[in-house]
Amino acid sequence: MSALVRSELLKVRTVRSWWAYLIVIVLLAGIATASDVGPDDAARDQLQFQVGLVDSAGIAALIAIILGITIVTTEFRHGTVTPTLLLEPHRERMLAAKALAAGLLGMAFALLALVVIGLVAGIWLAAVGAEIHFLDHDVLVRAAQTILLSILWTLFGVAIGSVVHSQVAALVGTLVWVFLGETLIWGLLGLIDLDGIGSYLPFRALDSADGTNDPDMLPYWGGVAVSLAWIAVVGGAGVWRTRRRDIT
Amino acid sequence: MIEVDGLSKRFGKTQAVAGLSFRVEPGTITGFLGPNGAGKSTTLRSVLGLVHPDAGSATVLGVAYHRLERPLHRVGAVLEASEVHPGRSGRNHLRVQAVAAGLPAGRADEVLALVELTKAGRRRVKGYSLGMKQRLGLATALLGDPEVLVLDEPANGLDPAGIRWLRDLLRSLAAEGRTILVSSHVLSEVAQTADRVVIIHRGRLVQQAAMADVLAGASGSTRVRTPDEDRLRSLLAAEGVTVSTSEDGALLADMPPQRIGELAAEHGIVLHELAVERATLEEVFLELTAGETTQ
Repeated sequence: MSALVRSELLKVRTVRSWWAYLIVIVLLAGIATASDVGPDDAARDQLQFQVGLVDSAGIAALIAIILGITIVTTEFRHGTVTPTLLLEPHRERMLAAKALAAGLLGMAFALLALVVIGLVAGIWLAAVGAEIHFLDHDVLVRAAQTILLSILWTLFGVAIGSVVHSQVAALVGTLVWVFLGETLIWGLLGLIDLDGIGSYLPFRALDSADGTNDPDMLPYWGGVAVSLAWIAVVGGAGVWRTRRRDIT
Repeated sequence: MIEVDGLSKRFGKTQAVAGLSFRVEPGTITGFLGPNGAGKSTTLRSVLGLVHPDAGSATVLGVAYHRLERPLHRVGAVLEASEVHPGRSGRNHLRVQAVAAGLPAGRADEVLALVELTKAGRRRVKGYSLGMKQRLGLATALLGDPEVLVLDEPANGLDPAGIRWLRDLLRSLAAEGRTILVSSHVLSEVAQTADRVVIIHRGRLVQQAAMADVLAGASGSTRVRTPDEDRLRSLLAAEGVTVSTSEDGALLADMPPQRIGELAAEHGIVLHELAVERATLEEVFLELTAGETTQ
């Protein structure tokens, strides 16, 4: 399995989209942090403000789900699934290797975003003479939660990609679902006072696992658990679908 | 070595393979022939566990493909030249496979050299010609130094020099004791290379035999040139032999050359040419699949 995972990691690193992912994370995390810290604000010194800086790492989760989807669908798009399955004919093992590789990359993306945030904010705060709380317990917990969140998004992406093998359909479908589908269902459920159920929708659940403890959403560990359940259900369907498919 | 037994597969309304059975003997080059759409790729993909047959079975080295330990070391396959990410370099494509198979990275460079692609190895596959992609596919198949090779239309996109190169490569691979199953719809490609042929049409077996037997068994005729054409014609007609005229004006008689020679000698007819007109594999093939193509 470790050879397969290393092969998957090498696949991701040997195409140009890899650099696009890294550049987007560095740029967006950097810009978001700068625009948080930039305005002359008395709050900069406070712990709560610095905990909030971590949220700029959310961009990693978005890139992570794109990576998760494409790590599966690119094989079908370019037909490379044939050589991949000749190497590992057990399709559930192929998907497991992809999930592991993607999870590691999801973690790396979050770490990269955190490093960028730490550097940009750290230098800025030091320059204006603000007190830095980066190693405070609350900041570290939020950072850890952000890393786990990014891994969850990646795994959900792998699950989606293994069900919907068409790259365009999987990416566009996911975007439409996130920005339109769930909001619509959430709104409709709200009309009949069932928005409690709406919290269990996949991306609502993922959102509640970001550590911000929004009162409208599931509690943190509930969010993590429901997200994992979604990953298991969609991933299970993906294994079933991928095993059955004729690779022609 | 490779055994296909009662294999059937339907895609929607198309019956791609219908009750196909054949064997590939160890240590031979077997040509897997059939017109486009005959079911060759579906059969090969079933052998490799990529397509799930509706009925029947396909095994390689005695087991279903997914039961092979370290399959890349046992079976090498090229199914379509385009199954490479266009944005990855050829060398990296091979490294990806080598890492997964637990092979040293240097093996990628070895097979690149073997298919004479070292120079282009670091370029992205997007810029490769079809022939270069075929070479890269062959390199992929050879990575694990497998004892069985399954190649689907490997000559597609190769220029004449490339086809000769491929033929030589396949011969030297077979000389090392490997078993090779190579499909083609261009019969002349395998005529000079293959020891045995499996001919399929519309998903069914048409013939499975040694290449020499297929050619010998085909209705060959005898080519005759004589200044005394009318007399020979009437003599042959009296013997009940069908006679036709070839494009270049020679007579083609449906009778062995010895008998024609004797007949001519008996009647004092001068012969300028007397030879066996061997049917090409192309003709054999058309003959074998005749009548069904027009359905």
